[in-house]
Amino acid sequence: MTPPRNRSDAPVAILVVAALGIAVLVVAPLAGLLARVPWSGIGRLAEPEARAALIVSLEVSSGAALLAVVVGFPIAWVLARTTFVGRSVLRALVLLPLVLPPVVGGVALLTAFGRRGIVGRFLASAGITLPFTTAGAVLAAAFVSTPLVILAIESGLRSTDSRLEDAAATMGASRRYVIRRITIPLLRPQLLAAAVLAWARALGEFGATITFAGNLRGRTQTLPLAVFETLQSDPDGAVVLSVVLMILSLGVLIALRDRFLSR
Amino acid sequence: MSPRRTTTTAVLAGFLLSACTTVGAREQEGGRELLVFAAASLTEAFREIGAEFERQNKGVTVLLNFGPSDGLSTQILEGAPADVFASASDRWVDEIEANGPGVQSRTDFARNSLAVIVPADNPARISSITDLGARGVKLVLAAPEVPVGEYSRRALGKAGVLEPAEANVVSNEQDVKGVVQKVMLGEADAGIVYVTDETPGVAPAVALIDIPEHLNVAVTYPIAVVGDTDESDLASRFVDFVLSEGQAVLRRFGFLPPI
Repeated sequence: MTPPRNRSDAPVAILVVAALGIAVLVVAPLAGLLARVPWSGIGRLAEPEARAALIVSLEVSSGAALLAVVVGFPIAWVLARTTFVGRSVLRALVLLPLVLPPVVGGVALLTAFGRRGIVGRFLASAGITLPFTTAGAVLAAAFVSTPLVILAIESGLRSTDSRLEDAAATMGASRRYVIRRITIPLLRPQLLAAAVLAWARALGEFGATITFAGNLRGRTQTLPLAVFETLQSDPDGAVVLSVVLMILSLGVLIALRDRFLSR
Repeated sequence: MSPRRTTTTAVLAGFLLSACTTVGAREQEGGRELLVFAAASLTEAFREIGAEFERQNKGVTVLLNFGPSDGLSTQILEGAPADVFASASDRWVDEIEANGPGVQSRTDFARNSLAVIVPADNPARISSITDLGARGVKLVLAAPEVPVGEYSRRALGKAGVLEPAEANVVSNEQDVKGVVQKVMLGEADAGIVYVTDETPGVAPAVALIDIPEHLNVAVTYPIAVVGDTDESDLASRFVDFVLSEGQAVLRRFGFLPPI
């Protein structure tokens, strides 16, 4: 029997578009970057500027991932395990940074935590400043990556069996005990995945960081900021730094591949 | 069609339509476009000059790309199709002449000088450029490769406070407007910008402090017709316009005439 005709037609179109998409969005940019790498100048990675940017990036991403999970878990728990009026509004609000242009996020952070911001002015009189500090860069990166954590953990919570929590509760376990001994252990893979996602998003953060935390080598200049500044006057240097970022990002994906990339 | 499908189709159609109209609008007007790359400090003046040039040359669209001169120069070296390049420093036009498409013509068209910029309430009580080296001042400069960043460091050097001032830097901005922004928002105590950067939009929020002439830096702006432009005539006409009628606009924004 011959299969229906349109069924064998469709995949060709899909394959063509898929191939085109991969060529334009993945292969060409990667190839372009690799073709431009001045291999003779790869030693420049050891230069203080590159090293400083790498260290700041690792610090900021790790700090942001930690912060995002610490605040993202309770928010996700509230969204997944409780019902109250306005829950969907709350969800929309906490996910807003996901769709907001990061530079707008940076401006928002300035108006909140800047020296003249509505919260920042009190922080400033207490001697705490966030703009132009590594902590500020962490805050900016956490701002953009927390929604990913919330999404990942909330869907994780919804797919775990809440009857286990209920059973523990009926046997007299306090809510706190349940979260600590049942919910979190059950959720460990999703928590880890959320942290890695947040880390990767924070690594690529640019707009909110440069707006809120500025650009200072060794303090707030992360790799993307260093790429941007270097590109202005030294494209080869920018390519070298870009390759570092690419390797880091690829490393994350490879580390994750068993967890959720292979379905 | 189901409602969902109708929505999807409508959205797709919308995208296509907007894409078509954008392309259409450009081709309609005789297709003459002039791509002008200009230093960030020229933003307000060149917007006006560009609009006036469009008014006097029907069918011509002046597309303005503002940024740090070093970045613009790099973009041109990487093949950006600029017709005219107005730089805040000779260095970055030299770069195009030496390593890029070259230039067809090159003329100085304006001069500028530096000033210290502080938030209107001047929280760090800055009164001169030497104060920028005082302990605890949050100073914002443009990055060293950016013309104004280079000039700023030269002026700080003349004032003998380069080292302490560098230690006070909390951010190296990508162009002079980035410095203005950080000071305007009150996040930084001070910065160094061009005297022309106190534009109407930011004037209420900031104050400028003069840098005396012997510590100041003479800044000259060259404008060039880029070597590989295919709008050679139009580009020269625009340059002539900047050198003639454009001068009044530049004066109004505080630029000095070329020597």
